[in-house]
Amino acid sequence: MRPILECQKLTKKYGNFFALSNVDLSLERGKIVGLLGPNGSGKTTLIKLANGLLTPSDGHIMINGLEPGPATKKIVSYLPDRSFFNGHMKVNHLLAYYADFYRNFSTERALKMLDALEIDKSKRLNALSKGAQEKVQLVLVMSRDADLYILDEPIGGVDPAARDYILRTILSNYSENATVLISTHLITDIEQVLDHVIFLQNGQISLNASVDEIRTEYGKSVDTLFREVFKC
Amino acid sequence: MLGKLIKYDLKSSGKLFLLLHGIFLIFCVLMRFIYMNRLDLIEPVDEKMLVVSLLLFFTLFTVFVSALMFYTQMQIAFRYYRNLFSREGYLSWTLPVSGIQHLWAKIISGCIFMAADTLIVAAGILILATGKNIRDAYSLIADETTRELGMTLGDFGLMLLILCLASCICSVVMVYFCINIGQLFPGHRVLCAVAAYFITSTVIQIGSLIILFISGYFPGYEFFAAEGATAADFMIRIYAISGGISVVVTVAMYIATHYMMKKKINLI
Repeated sequence: MRPILECQKLTKKYGNFFALSNVDLSLERGKIVGLLGPNGSGKTTLIKLANGLLTPSDGHIMINGLEPGPATKKIVSYLPDRSFFNGHMKVNHLLAYYADFYRNFSTERALKMLDALEIDKSKRLNALSKGAQEKVQLVLVMSRDADLYILDEPIGGVDPAARDYILRTILSNYSENATVLISTHLITDIEQVLDHVIFLQNGQISLNASVDEIRTEYGKSVDTLFREVFKC
Repeated sequence: MLGKLIKYDLKSSGKLFLLLHGIFLIFCVLMRFIYMNRLDLIEPVDEKMLVVSLLLFFTLFTVFVSALMFYTQMQIAFRYYRNLFSREGYLSWTLPVSGIQHLWAKIISGCIFMAADTLIVAAGILILATGKNIRDAYSLIADETTRELGMTLGDFGLMLLILCLASCICSVVMVYFCINIGQLFPGHRVLCAVAAYFITSTVIQIGSLIILFISGYFPGYEFFAAEGATAADFMIRIYAISGGISVVVTVAMYIATHYMMKKKINLI
């Protein structure tokens, strides 16, 4: 089976600065992958390239063997690191919007999760608290039957209790053939759910290994190894 | 997908657009009964007062119409910018549609708003200017006007309306082209888009003047020197040349925007 995400000599330059430099990467299906690295290491750039929000300066990025485009966007569910909805839209209008554009969106699943979170669907998004807004975004993203979920800092701005809920939501909503790529700084919180880890440093991959390999080869947790590799 | 994109574009700005244009139409209806219908243009009691009041009224009307048109253009520009290049772009660009479908959806919805704006303004003018007193007063100068224009005032108005509707496409594409140019400068997106708008407008105007000058239609003395030339003939030829220039410029701007939407999208 072809990899869900492949990068070949992927490079992204901003002026003279290399945000990503000659990245070669291949992600298998059915894994939860942690994309880890300090600020400015190129995590968000890689994610944006995978979603077609940036165009590569050089090299290629492929999703399911295709360059990012309408066909790949059908199978990728993306949660950006910022609020990306029109705040004037009501939650139920957002549900209709997702159902209109994504054939793999399950309104029923989204409604179930929103009800469990006691989120008022008739409210406008900007009338909800920041935490509730982030939950609505995650619910919509995870209510799609996607092949690849790309989550950029999904637990960055929420309290520890909400983090647990978000992680449970991620774990319970992806199928076994789907891949979840999670970018975050909060490694301790997500380490338990990760199968595979990619360390990005200065726009290059410094480690690409499974969590089991890290534990057996290095005898350390991912968090401890991260702190050692990226020690200031 | 194109239809869905257009639907959401129209829905996003439709309410405020309808509200403002509804207020304009109510204003026109009220002014027709409160002001225009009471004017005695044939035998005014105080001619000076009549001229002053008409001047004041049409200044107010022009300001209202300009504000409405400016609002419509700004609304189209903001929708394009916010939906595609601000944080909302993170959703728009990850929908399973191509950049070209986004562009066409915005062109079609933008043209619908601009055309609706033009038609509503035209309807407002008709509401104000079709009272019996105005028609009676106009009938006194109708023959002379028709002779000068080379066609009836109604036909002339219709021709202007069609030209305005056709120019909507050019205006919309130009706005999008300039916003896309602004996106090429991530540090100063809005400033560069505004600068691109003024530079593009100036270049088009200077280019048009040069072409009109070369073809002998500017300043127009040569044309009117010919016997039997009417204002309408002159205007039709000017509009034909300007229209030709607009078509060329619109196609060029569309090709450039199309390229940028396909190859130069960078949401930073």
